Amino acid sequence: MNPEPFLQLDRLIHEKGRLAIMSMLAASPELTFTELRDALGMTDGNLTTHIKALQQEGYLSVAKSYQNNRPLTTCSLTPLGRKAFAEYINLLEQIVRQHKPE
Amino acid sequence: MKPDWAEENLQTIRTLMERSAVYRRALAPIMLFAGTLGVLAAAGGLYFQVESPKAFAGFWLGTAGVVIVGAFVMARRQAHKERELFWSPPTRRVGQALLPPLLSGMFISGLLAVTVANWAVDVPMALVWILFYGCALHSAGFFMTRSVRWFGWVFIIGAIALAIALLKANPSAWTATASLTMGFFFGVLHLAYGAYLYLTERKNP
Repeated sequence: MNPEPFLQLDRLIHEKGRLAIMSMLAASPELTFTELRDALGMTDGNLTTHIKALQQEGYLSVAKSYQNNRPLTTCSLTPLGRKAFAEYINLLEQIVRQHKPE
Repeated sequence: MKPDWAEENLQTIRTLMERSAVYRRALAPIMLFAGTLGVLAAAGGLYFQVESPKAFAGFWLGTAGVVIVGAFVMARRQAHKERELFWSPPTRRVGQALLPPLLSGMFISGLLAVTVANWAVDVPMALVWILFYGCALHSAGFFMTRSVRWFGWVFIIGAIALAIALLKANPSAWTATASLTMGFFFGVLHLAYGAYLYLTERKNP
């Protein structure tokens, strides 16, 4: 087996929680903090930590606004985040192909 | 480490993306349902000569109402079957994207039906519906499968092309054109798109 694709996997995205956040956001232009939390069953603290990590890497952008006088946090993938996610998927597919019998 | 972990990861990603997206599987039956009703309504419109602007508007808005209720029931049933939330965030966004163009189209066509008593207004009314429906599909397509946006463009470009063609034609030839136009756009095109969705869905693992 060629270990190259595995070694190239983005460690930041590879983490289960962050991968789930990236997956949800990849299929939607934006999601609110509450939507992500409820869909993924994460705690506020856990989700905040993951979002910060992805934000620091430039994969995710966070917008803060107000809706019905209540603060609203919205997350979306940046172009860099979309590219990194697509590359991650490509590498996973390569690994799967390597394991598939000819 | 299990050798199939990558495949499991991909499956997880797919599931999460599907959960975050709209019910694509319900789209094909909805399109076929809408197309069938569109063709039947066009045939009925031609047979019963539904030509006065108010009758034409009422007839087609009634058909649209039946399609909307049917689509709602089908999407809800699928969500229930899949044990998914029906009124999910993506579904809400699709609804929000569809509403302004659809309401605008209904308002303008309603205005035409009420203010113009001439049957020749049927074709402009049909064109307004096709144009605004195309805009609605295009907007909703940003939260759905990408092909919906292309489907929207077919309606927009089709309406513009037809408007240009009809401007050059004699208005006396427009009577049957309205029902035929509605039948083609809201019937045949929906059937074709529904068939396309079924065929492409089968290719997905």
